Amino acid sequence: MKLEVNGVNREVRSEPLTPLLDVLREELDVTSPKAGCHAGGCGACTVMVDGKPRRSCLIPVAAVDGASITTVEGLGTPKDPSAVQQSFIHHYAAQCGFCTPGMVVAATAYIDGGGSDDKDEIAKAISGHVCRCTGYTKILDAIAAATKQTEFDITIIAPDPTTVTIGGSE
Amino acid sequence: MKAVGARLPRYDGMGHVTGHTRFVDDVRVPGMLWAKALRSPHHHAAIVHMDTSKAAAMPGVHTIVTWEDVPLLEYGHLSGLGIPADEPLLARDVVRYKGQPIALVAADDEETASAAAAAIEIEYEERPALLDVRLAFDEDAPKIHHWGNWYPHFEEEMDVRQIRKGNIDQAFEDADKIISGVYRSSAIEQAPVETQVGLAVPEPDGRLTIYSCTQALYFSLGVVAAHLEVPLNKVKIVGGTVGGGFGGKVDTATDTVIALAAQKTGRPVKWRWTREEEFLASSTRGPWHMEIIDAVTNDGWILGRKMLTLHDSGAYARFSPYGLTKHSFHHTGAYTIPNLHFDGYVVFTNRVPSTAMRGFGVTSISFAGETHMTRVANELGMDPYEIRLKNANRVGDTSPNRIRYTDPSTVDVVKAIANAEGRDLEPALAGMTRATRSGEMLPPHLVDQLDTSEGSH
Repeated sequence: MKLEVNGVNREVRSEPLTPLLDVLREELDVTSPKAGCHAGGCGACTVMVDGKPRRSCLIPVAAVDGASITTVEGLGTPKDPSAVQQSFIHHYAAQCGFCTPGMVVAATAYIDGGGSDDKDEIAKAISGHVCRCTGYTKILDAIAAATKQTEFDITIIAPDPTTVTIGGSE
Repeated sequence: MKAVGARLPRYDGMGHVTGHTRFVDDVRVPGMLWAKALRSPHHHAAIVHMDTSKAAAMPGVHTIVTWEDVPLLEYGHLSGLGIPADEPLLARDVVRYKGQPIALVAADDEETASAAAAAIEIEYEERPALLDVRLAFDEDAPKIHHWGNWYPHFEEEMDVRQIRKGNIDQAFEDADKIISGVYRSSAIEQAPVETQVGLAVPEPDGRLTIYSCTQALYFSLGVVAAHLEVPLNKVKIVGGTVGGGFGGKVDTATDTVIALAAQKTGRPVKWRWTREEEFLASSTRGPWHMEIIDAVTNDGWILGRKMLTLHDSGAYARFSPYGLTKHSFHHTGAYTIPNLHFDGYVVFTNRVPSTAMRGFGVTSISFAGETHMTRVANELGMDPYEIRLKNANRVGDTSPNRIRYTDPSTVDVVKAIANAEGRDLEPALAGMTRATRSGEMLPPHLVDQLDTSEGSH
């Protein structure tokens, strides 16, 4: 079997019924898709299969033989992060980071599909993804902003206008 | 001082969003074995017979770790404070909760390890289970431990956490009304998206490197070294990248057993729990049973509180005595009640051991205490804001354990809640501050508890 993973052609030797998640993580060492439940319940293993977000833990690899797989590593790099990735940083949408790869893939698919900044629509798009840290608010903010903007400030140290100034100026 | 008050990016944000952050399950080392546990299928049972020989002989199985392999079988999470241990690392002759680990198989892959764990021959003699703290004190209740069903080591030798403050009998004599309530909170699984996982790697120099998802690195270090009876410098714990914890990764879950398996095999061993195991066998927030009886006056002062708390610790103590102690210190909530009679028990049941979750021991009393404040207000026909603002902690008030409050924020918080709710407080309430009590805010019953010293706590 063959897979194109993040633009690279890979041979696959795992058994045909091996979940795509296990092929990516254990055979190909692509570790960004996470095994939060291994039962299709948490969304942390979400990858794009031929451009569509799919739970890789539920897909036998034989069912996607020859497909193009994109994980979050394939969407952007630390040197060149995508708009969604920048927006997640800017809005503090990643806390522990474990659900983040799946969230970013789902958000990217949503925006690629022409999704709007309507929070209800975004909530529907990520409804299969469990985040135990954020309460989702910041994730919704990040995705909404990324529907309209492609660059986000991710490095600046700016005074937060909501905090009280402590002490004098330097 | 650029960083104070500034909006800083997360140091690990870029790794998280690009998939480069390395969690424990992402660590790759050559020659790794996979572990699976044999867990108790019963809430409570004696193990009358166990034979691992057939399972150990299965192809692909490298070792099976049981209680016999553990140098120091029992080491409590509070043993470092001199408190006697009550929990074996792996069950020996009794299992006290469903999911309790009995043996760990290390094999070439997870399927083989699972099959071997299932092939271990084991015979149980089921015992009645105790699953409700309210039944733990009955004479015919199932006995969880040989010494009884509740923790006996408060202040070394007391079986109850007590607080006695002021004159509780006088308070109940002086009261216009006695208002009581019973409050119970349920167990909650912290449910991080990353399940419990650990990887132990034996190093050529004899040391062990453990990649751990623990929330408490140095704590785990001490626990592992104690069970293995090795000096601390023989164990190196690598961690800090935790896929969610919320208290559920404070107790040492995988680290010690995989360390033993790695020692025995000389190979790296990874043990990752399934989601089902996480829900079955990882520590939860404990259930609490709380009974509050308040002595109150018709104008809304709380003169005294009697309280009984039963904390469901599950099968073993772990950190529960600490959680209950915090609970007792906070049992008046954000309010000042000068006459107190508190009894709290850490009660053992055949549930999975409970542990921290977001304010260990305190969230339970916050729930009970705030609900009770509203009940008192309703029974007195009083504004729930007024009763809170009157009794709210002020500078110089003292806590149940006689800590002087130096800057309590209760008054401001209650006013902010009223504001958020769109409630216009009457001027007498709106004008209240956290300043030291005087005048109408210093009725006779609050005089003696006041600590007007400066500088002391």
